[in-house]
Amino acid sequence: MITPSVIPAVRRKRPSIWVLAPVLLLVGLSLLPLLYVGLKAWQAGLHEAIRLLWRPYVLRLLGNTLMLMAGVTAACVVIGLSLAWLLERTDLAGRRLWGVILCLPFAVPAFVSSFTWVSLSSGFEGLGGAILVMTLSKYPLVFLPVAATLRNLDTSLEESARTLGLNRTGVFFKVTLPLLWPAVLGGALLIALHMLVEFGALSILGLQTFTTAIYQQFELEFSNTNAAMLSALLLVLCLLLLWLELKVRGTARHVRTGQGAARRATPLQLGGWRIVAQLYCLLLVVIGSGVPLAMLGYWLVKGSSAAFPVAAIGEALLTSLSLALGGAALCLALALPVGLLVVRHRGRLAIWAERLPYLLHALPGLVIALTLVYFALHYVPAMYQTTGLLLLAYALLFLPLAQAPVRTALNKAAPQLEEAARTLGATPFSAFCRVTLPIIFPAMAAAFALVFLDGMKELTATLVLAPTGMTTLATEVWSHTSNMEFAAAAPYAALLILISGVPVYLLTTRMYLNQTR
Amino acid sequence: MTILNFHSLLRALGACLLGIVLATPLAQAADKVELTLYNGQHKEIGEAIAQAYEAKTGIHINVRKGSSNQLASQVMEEGDRSPADVIYTEESPPLYSLGQKGFLAKIDDTTLAMLPKEYVAKDGTWMGVTARVRVVAYNPKLIDEKDLPNDILEFAQPQWQGKIGFVPTSGAFQEQAVAIIQVHGRDVAEEWLTGLRAFGKTYSNNMVALKAVENGEIAAVLVNNYYWFALQREKGTLESRLRYAQDGDVGGLITVSSAAALKSSKHPREAQALLAYMASEEGQRVITQATAEYPLHKGMVSDRGLKPFQELRAPNVTPADIGAADEALDLERDVGLN
Repeated sequence: MITPSVIPAVRRKRPSIWVLAPVLLLVGLSLLPLLYVGLKAWQAGLHEAIRLLWRPYVLRLLGNTLMLMAGVTAACVVIGLSLAWLLERTDLAGRRLWGVILCLPFAVPAFVSSFTWVSLSSGFEGLGGAILVMTLSKYPLVFLPVAATLRNLDTSLEESARTLGLNRTGVFFKVTLPLLWPAVLGGALLIALHMLVEFGALSILGLQTFTTAIYQQFELEFSNTNAAMLSALLLVLCLLLLWLELKVRGTARHVRTGQGAARRATPLQLGGWRIVAQLYCLLLVVIGSGVPLAMLGYWLVKGSSAAFPVAAIGEALLTSLSLALGGAALCLALALPVGLLVVRHRGRLAIWAERLPYLLHALPGLVIALTLVYFALHYVPAMYQTTGLLLLAYALLFLPLAQAPVRTALNKAAPQLEEAARTLGATPFSAFCRVTLPIIFPAMAAAFALVFLDGMKELTATLVLAPTGMTTLATEVWSHTSNMEFAAAAPYAALLILISGVPVYLLTTRMYLNQTR
Repeated sequence: MTILNFHSLLRALGACLLGIVLATPLAQAADKVELTLYNGQHKEIGEAIAQAYEAKTGIHINVRKGSSNQLASQVMEEGDRSPADVIYTEESPPLYSLGQKGFLAKIDDTTLAMLPKEYVAKDGTWMGVTARVRVVAYNPKLIDEKDLPNDILEFAQPQWQGKIGFVPTSGAFQEQAVAIIQVHGRDVAEEWLTGLRAFGKTYSNNMVALKAVENGEIAAVLVNNYYWFALQREKGTLESRLRYAQDGDVGGLITVSSAAALKSSKHPREAQALLAYMASEEGQRVITQATAEYPLHKGMVSDRGLKPFQELRAPNVTPADIGAADEALDLERDVGLN
């Protein structure tokens, strides 16, 4: 133990074991899926692995996955851009209200809105339906960041362009759009990634993509080579997107605008287009949130006339709550050391730790789950089919959510404060607990809430990893829906929206709407 | 917030997490004998058996629901570590494979004696629990019964484009494919699957397929008989009708839901007792109330208004003949069905 008096002079360079161990654990865990895929391929032999990958079926999966990804991403960009422009740059009446209502899809998990559409008509099954439903549930991911960027954009650039002779259309394409590009691309890549890893909704919509095919293989043969090979392809696609995203993030900086005199751009007079614009927003609200919520209400009323299994619903609710609580706690316990390492101990490991959330973000939940099953069964049997393993999966899945707020807060908590506490005789642990922790506490609480709420609706990993007999709200929605028992699924879905969807919606929209200057 | 408060909050959070992690195994360790049932049969059937058995004997059964194929493969991967004591599947091939690979214990003779021997494994490692028959469910508004072919192979012809549905992932469909391989040969089976893939519509499970017929979305689907009775119980009267195969066509194959005890079970006696209960008249009554399948207990008859078992004109292929379904799965993969 170092004596307190030498602390101010010698800045601790080596991170403590309490920081290193969790980070190394996380780095190890996040590399497991790659190891799993490699191991399975090696066990099957190169020849067999190639035979499984190189067949028309896989090509069809690839086609479906890519078409869905392209379709949804393109549609979301068009809708998100047009909405952001309408709400930020025109004199559309009721802009604020529209902004709030148009983000309602955040409140409805994609697999819930999928089930409401499929229960309306089986015509929504397949690629077309999937593109429609997924677009309607994901467009806020483009709309919100683009709207925020537009609002904070320095209008002097656009004005200069106009004085130099460009018309409005020219300004939009030559000046505004390039400035918005990073926000658009960021949102688009996020949506593309979501399409790659989405399982529940696509399975309900009856579209065969890599994730649904991997799950089908799991149902046919548990953890087999075929599932691993399809996972390998899916991982390649995901990592490709991750690489693109990092590139976009890297170039995003040079287009940042100066903080000159802030003025809201003169709103464009819509004139006769007013009605068209209003109808456009109304249409999006009706099909985006109106139809799913109305269908859910219909099934709720219809279902309550039949048996209403209060005990089963209560049990699923309690399980969901405690899993989400435990997952969020574990997630924060892991996010804190990662944040500390990145902020306080720059170095090679810190660079890896910084990239970790991005890597985890790009790993499909289904592949993480299959990996954990495989390694737990063969190497840590004590964890096999336990709640602990499921919580670990939650922590891995949601670490990216917790990482940003924790890091931002740690940046604000100057290490000098802790050092001062130590010169006054506090141990490193107590200095951290009494000085830094209270400073970062609000951010930790926010991160905890975010992870908790998102964890409530986790489906994929829970399906694979849940201990024997455990059901959650999400798995109940899924199992009833897969038998087309929509009325039976409705109460679970409604609880999910109320307890997790609505708060997520409020948190997310506030985060963006508060970004005004 | 004061430091003290903050610390107690942290501690509470930690305790909460620890509690959740530890709760499950501790809760299990504290109790007496419990059995774990890997249930590939329908959820409500496994739960009905578990509840009735606990009410009778006081032994709690943890039920893990999954697909039959998945759970059987899971047992193979788990090996000696498998937490399962008894496995209950929708069809016999997964248990046949488990038996061949030595994962199953021999079932007590007194239990096997309650069932007809053509529905029991030749080596006594698994037993049929209930029987069901493959049928064609059709919607009379979309197709006349007389236009349905007598030979199931005809559904793979181009004139059935968009009119025939099937469930390639269902175990019973795979059994049907195996039966076609055994009766007509591999080439015919491959041609049949290729035709179905080209002209038919695939569904994710049998109930979804049947509801598509009921709602008039497709003319006919290949399913098991009891789904129709389950839907009838829910809705009262149905639009759709069932057509039973004639003259021993493979379209009328009889398949059995099956159960077995695992060699690795820590409670072999209790596992055998559960199997005996499932084969007994009392157990079979519980099961056939939950599902409209035919009870296999000798002399028992279902009271669900099914077409009498003796009147079925099934092909001469028994579950024991069918054996494993790997070949069907391979064939499905070859033609690009999965």
